Amino acid sequence: MLNKNIFALNAIAFFILGFSQNTLAQSDSVKNLQEVHIQGITSGVLKSATPVQAITSADFSRYSAFSVADAVRNFSGVAVRDYGGIGGLKTVSVRSMGAGYTSVLYDGIPINDAQTGQVDLGRFNLLNLQEIILYTGQPINLSLPARSYANSAVLSLITKQPQLSVEKPYGITAGVRAGSFSLINPYVQWQQRLSNNWSAVLNASTQKANGNYKFKDNFGGRDTIGRRVNSDVSTQQIDWGVYYSKDDSTTFRLQFNYISSDRGLPGPVILNAVYQDQHLLNQDAFVQAVYDRIWQSSLHLLLTAKASHNYQHYTDASFLNNNGGANEHYTQRELYQSATLSYKPFNNWEISYGTDASFTDMDIDVYRYAFPKRLSLYNVLASNLKTGRFGFQASLLSMYINDDAETNTAAKSKSALSPTLVASFEAIKNGELLFRAFYKDVYRYPNLSEQYYYAVQPRNLQPEQSRQFNAGAVYTKNFDSFTEYFLASVDGYYYKVTNKIFSFPGRSAEILSVRNIGKVDIRGLDLNLKTRFKPVNGYAGLLSLAYTYQRAIDISNPGDSFYKDQIPYTPKHTLALNAGVRHNGVGLFYNHIFSSSRYYLSNNRPEYYVPAYHVSDLSLTYNFKLLKKQFYTAVEVNNAFNSNYVIVKGYPMPPRSLRLTLQLTI
Amino acid sequence: MRSFKHSYLLLLSALSLLATSCSKDDDPIVAEDNLGTGVFIVNQGAFSASNASLTFYNTTTKKVTLDVFSAANGTGLGSVANDAAIYGSKMYITVNVSSTLEVVDPRNGKLIKHIDMKNNGVARQPRYVAFYKNKAYITSYDNTVAVIDTASLTIEKFITVGRNPEQMAIANGKLYVANSGGLTFGNPDNSVSVIDLNTNTETKKITVPANPVSLAADAGGDVYVISAGDYDKILPALTIINGTNDAIKSSETTDIGYGNTIAIAGNSAYLISGDGKVVVFNTTTDQVSNANFITGNFKFATPFAIAVKESTGEVFVTDAKGYTADGKLYIFSREGAIKDSAATGLIPGKVVFKNN
Repeated sequence: MLNKNIFALNAIAFFILGFSQNTLAQSDSVKNLQEVHIQGITSGVLKSATPVQAITSADFSRYSAFSVADAVRNFSGVAVRDYGGIGGLKTVSVRSMGAGYTSVLYDGIPINDAQTGQVDLGRFNLLNLQEIILYTGQPINLSLPARSYANSAVLSLITKQPQLSVEKPYGITAGVRAGSFSLINPYVQWQQRLSNNWSAVLNASTQKANGNYKFKDNFGGRDTIGRRVNSDVSTQQIDWGVYYSKDDSTTFRLQFNYISSDRGLPGPVILNAVYQDQHLLNQDAFVQAVYDRIWQSSLHLLLTAKASHNYQHYTDASFLNNNGGANEHYTQRELYQSATLSYKPFNNWEISYGTDASFTDMDIDVYRYAFPKRLSLYNVLASNLKTGRFGFQASLLSMYINDDAETNTAAKSKSALSPTLVASFEAIKNGELLFRAFYKDVYRYPNLSEQYYYAVQPRNLQPEQSRQFNAGAVYTKNFDSFTEYFLASVDGYYYKVTNKIFSFPGRSAEILSVRNIGKVDIRGLDLNLKTRFKPVNGYAGLLSLAYTYQRAIDISNPGDSFYKDQIPYTPKHTLALNAGVRHNGVGLFYNHIFSSSRYYLSNNRPEYYVPAYHVSDLSLTYNFKLLKKQFYTAVEVNNAFNSNYVIVKGYPMPPRSLRLTLQLTI
Repeated sequence: MRSFKHSYLLLLSALSLLATSCSKDDDPIVAEDNLGTGVFIVNQGAFSASNASLTFYNTTTKKVTLDVFSAANGTGLGSVANDAAIYGSKMYITVNVSSTLEVVDPRNGKLIKHIDMKNNGVARQPRYVAFYKNKAYITSYDNTVAVIDTASLTIEKFITVGRNPEQMAIANGKLYVANSGGLTFGNPDNSVSVIDLNTNTETKKITVPANPVSLAADAGGDVYVISAGDYDKILPALTIINGTNDAIKSSETTDIGYGNTIAIAGNSAYLISGDGKVVVFNTTTDQVSNANFITGNFKFATPFAIAVKESTGEVFVTDAKGYTADGKLYIFSREGAIKDSAATGLIPGKVVFKNN
C-alpha cells in the first residue's frame, strides 16, 4: 500500500532536496579581509563579539581538504552531511539548524538556492579560495548586504585577490591533483596587472573521476562487500574577475563564474537493489559586481549586483513510467541587488542601513508545477557602539516575500521583523579575555520546493521561527615560553525552533505534504582550543581542537513516540583535532574527526542507529624552489586508517584514498 | 581472593555492558511455532534505507516483536515491503524497491525461499500478491503479473497487463488487476485487466476512472475498485464491477485516501476516507451503512492500512504517524470501540492475520 507517488517523489527527492545550485546575494570580502586579521598561521578563531572561525588557504593542506566541505569540518558547531565520494552532495549544518540556515557568500554575495535553500559545498573546490570564514549568528561588520543578517550562520568564501606590482605584473599558478577513484584534476590561475588600478584574475579547472570504491555494509547482521557504481563525475569550472582599487578607499570588482558538472548518482545502498541509471547534469553561471567606497567623512557605501542562471537535468532510465524513464529539467534564475550605507557620527558609534532585493523564477517540467516567481526584500537598520570595554550591536531586519505563480495559486505574501542584539565585554584590558553574548531572531521562509514542488493544492505554510541565545568567552595569550600562543573559546547556546517545516508523503492530492508541525529544542556547547609551539631546531608545531556538544530534541508533541528524542543525524559529540609540524618548507599534518552515534529517523531506536565514527587524514606538503621557480607538492591520505563508516544512512564513505598535488607558480 | 573477585565483577559488568550495547543479537529460533496467535504487520520502511520490517503482535500475550524477519533470518527484508499474505503454510512478502519476493514460514518468520524479481538485472518492482488454486499472482510495476507455483515456488509465467499494476481481486474464477499507470503523472492508466484463471491469459480490459489502485471482491462476486484520479481535475472514485458479466454496476466519486485497501468481511466493506474516518459500506445494498465506524473521540494521525478479522469482526487499523517515525496498530471491536494497540515499525502498510 505504498503510495507510488511517494516512490516517484523519493526518487527525485534525493536530488531535489539534495542538490543545489548557485544563485545570489551579498558582500563583505574586501572589507572583511581588513576586519579579520588572521594572526600567524594558527589563529582562525577570532576575538569578536559573535563566534567567528576562519581558515586561510595556507592551512587548507593541513586538513587534507579537497572541497570546501572538507575544510569546514574542523569548525566547531558544524556538522557536514556528506553523501560520500567526489560527486556526493555535501552540505553544512551549523548548531543542528539544518543546511537551509547557513548562508553561503561567494566574495560577499550570497549563493542562493531558491529551490532547496541549501548549497552543495562539494562543488566548490579550494583552488581559487583565499579564505573561508564561518560567522555564527551574524558578522559584526556593518558594511554588509542586508541578507547577511537573515540567517543563523554565514559561511563566507573569499577568492584569491590579485597580489601584483609594477615589478611583478603577472602571476601564473598551474597544477594538477590526481589520485584514487581515477581522479585527475588539472587547474590554472592567471593573475594579470592591467594598469595602476586594474588587474584581472582567471581560474580554470577540469576534474574527472570514476568515483568507484568498495564498501562494507551490514544488512541486519550480514556483512556485505559492495562497490559503488554509477558514481562518475566530470566537472569543468571557469571564473574570471577584474578588480579595480584606488588607495583602499574605492574598490570595484566584476566577476563571472561558470561550473558544469555531469555525474551519476550512485544512490543509497539497498539490499538487492542497485541504482545505476540516475544521472544529474548541472550548469550554473553567475555574474556579480561589487562597488565599495569609503569617504573621508567615514561615510561608507557598498553596492552589489548579481545575475545567475542555474540549470539542472535529471534522468532515471529505470523509472517505470510511460515515457522511458524520469526526465526532468530545472531552471532557476535570479537577479539580485543590494545597497548598504554606513556612517560613523562618532568614532565609537557606527550606524548603517542596508536594502536588498532579489527576484527569482523557477521553471520545472514536473506535474502541475506552478512556475513561481519570488520577490524577496530585505531591509536592515544596524548600529555598533563601543563604550570603554563594552561593545554593543543591535540590528533590526525586515523581510518581505511575495510570490507569483503562473498556473496554481501563489502563496500569500509574508513579512517578518527579526531583531538581533549582541554584547561583548573585555574582561582583561589588553583584550586577552572577551565575554560575549547574543540574542537573535531568525525566520526561515518555505523554499520554493517546500511551497510548490508537486503541490497540486496551494500549501498554507508559515515561516519557521527560531530564537537563539548564545553566551561565551574567548581567551588568548601570547607567551615567551615553549608555547608561544594559546587561544581558547567557549560558547554555550540555546536555540528554540518553532513552526518547523516538515515534508512527508501525502495521502491524496498533494503528492508531497508539507506542514509546520515541528518544535525543536537545541542546547549545545562549542569549544575551540588552538596553540602554536616555539620552533625547536626549526621545527614548528601546531595544535588545534574543536569540540561540539549538541542536544537537539524534538518537542513537537508529547504524544509522539519520538517526543524528546534527538533529531535525526545530530551527534551529541563531535571532535575535530588537527596537529602538525612545519620545517623548512616541509609540513606534516594529521587531522582527526570523531562523531558520536546518531539516529537517522525521529525515533532513537537501535534499528535506526548510525554508529559513531573516527576518520583520520594525513598530509605531507613540500614547498621548494627549482630553476628559480616556486613549486608546491603534497601527498594526502584521506581516511588513513581505512575506517568503514557512513555519515548518511545508506551512503558509505570512501575507504583509504590517496591524492597527489604538484603545483608550479611563475 | 578479594582482588580476584573484584576483577571478576568488573569483567561481568563489562560483559553486561556489551550485551546491552546497540548490536543486534540473533537468538536462533528453534521452536516449531514460537510466535503464537496474533497478527503480522508489514512495515514498508523508507526508500533510501533497507529498513522494511515484519512486526508480530501476539494478541494473547500482548508481546510485540518489532522485526520477526531479522530475528529469524539474521538479515533484513530490504527496502519498502509493500504487501504480504498467507496461503497454506507459507507467507509471501513483496519487497518493492529491493525487488524481491520473500517466502517465509508464518509460524516463526523463517525464510523458506528468496525470489529475485528482476528482469535481466532490472528491478520489476513487485507490488501485491493474490492466490488461486495453488498459484500465487504477483503484480509488478513493470506491467506484469507473475504466476508462481506455491508448491515448487518457481515462476511459471509472466502475464502482461496494463501500466503499473497494483492490487488484485478474485471473483468467479477471474483475476481482476488494477492498472494504475500511476508512475506517469498527468497520464495515468484507467483500466482493470481481467485474467482467466484457468488459462492465465488476459481476456479483456474494463475501463474505470483514472488511476485504479485498490481492488476487493465481496461475497456476491462484485469487485470494488478505488481509483485515485489524477490529483488535479479527476477526483477519486469508487466503482463496482459485476463479477458475473464484468459490467460496471456503479461508479461514483468518493472521498478516499490514496492506495487504501478495502477490507471486506461478511456483508461489510471497511475503508478509510480521505479525512481519516473508517467508513462501512454495505455490500448487499451498495450503500454506506456507517460513515464513522469508530466510536468515542479516538483520532488517528495518519491512518494507513485496514483489515478486518473474519472470526471476530474486529477491525485493525495502522497509523503511519506522518511517515517519519514508527507507527502504531490499533484494534477496534466489532462495534468500533478502541480495544488495544501495539507499536509497529516505520510505515505499517499491511496487516496479515496469522490465525483468522
